Amino acid sequence: MTAGPRQDFDPKSFPVARKGRYYDDFEVGQVLEHHWGRTLTAADNVAFSTATCHWSPMYLNAEFARAHGHPDAIVNPMLVLCTAVGLSVEDLSEAGGPFLGVDGCRFHRPVFPGDTLTARSTVIDKRESASRAGTGIVTWHTEAHNQRGELVVDYRRTNLVAKEPRS
Amino acid sequence: MTGPLSSLTGASNYFEDFHVGQRIRHARGATVDEVEGGWMSKLVMNTAQAHWNEDYLRGSPLGDGRVVFGLLTASVVIGLASQDTAENALAEVSLDGLRFTSPVHHGDTLYAFTEVIETSPAERDDAGLVRFRHWGTTQDDRVVFEGERTVLVKRRTHWSDR
Repeated sequence: MTAGPRQDFDPKSFPVARKGRYYDDFEVGQVLEHHWGRTLTAADNVAFSTATCHWSPMYLNAEFARAHGHPDAIVNPMLVLCTAVGLSVEDLSEAGGPFLGVDGCRFHRPVFPGDTLTARSTVIDKRESASRAGTGIVTWHTEAHNQRGELVVDYRRTNLVAKEPRS
Repeated sequence: MTGPLSSLTGASNYFEDFHVGQRIRHARGATVDEVEGGWMSKLVMNTAQAHWNEDYLRGSPLGDGRVVFGLLTASVVIGLASQDTAENALAEVSLDGLRFTSPVHHGDTLYAFTEVIETSPAERDDAGLVRFRHWGTTQDDRVVFEGERTVLVKRRTHWSDR
């Protein structure tokens, strides 16, 4: 080992460990099991609900939620949706292209602090973009389940997807 | 709980209070910055660095600097609308037609607008379904988000004295 700075360090000579998939990497019917999973905690719920001005007592007052028959404060469903999408980003949309929309989103059952989400997506449509060269439009159906395998949210998401890495 | 449940929430936003065509301009706006944009993107595991790498989008057609994750824009707009639309809700039911029509950057301020699209009975008799259309705009009146949301809202007849 040589101590001290190496004189030959040239950042541009290092290959990028690229993340994400491109348009040609998707085929209709393909199923992608997304990475990591995420345990949603009370801290996540408070951070998200307060940061988004969503001061509902159902999410931020555990006694209020218990009085409605729940075991604890409910995790804000928008946090559940955002986390399902977040877990899917590397597989679906990280490589580039604006988020176009979400349709058919259903919240199937409440999530409580300590529940763990995992997400998976199925490619349901892909087509070339008529207006933007070098991009396509891909639609996925994403489902997120809790640790008991129960569906908590599902939705369709559509993005512009790049055909090749951004230069 | 000490005291009645109904003392913790407003008295003018039960199911019976919503009617089709009703429009609400929500009183509070929110400036989206590090906490609402970059941090929340990372908190929800959104690995797309356009949301939290200030350098990455320099010179991009979307504009310089961090672009707010579209669903966080939606979440802030729905959050700003939540007291008037869902303070007496039992559950969020569904979302549909969410569209992100213009990029939001750190430093932009969001405002929320709502129209009641439909009211209908629910499977349970102590609550009803209200379908809202929401719009989010920025400080310069750019529409950045639009979408529909259905909420299960308590009926006054069953909940206002509990």
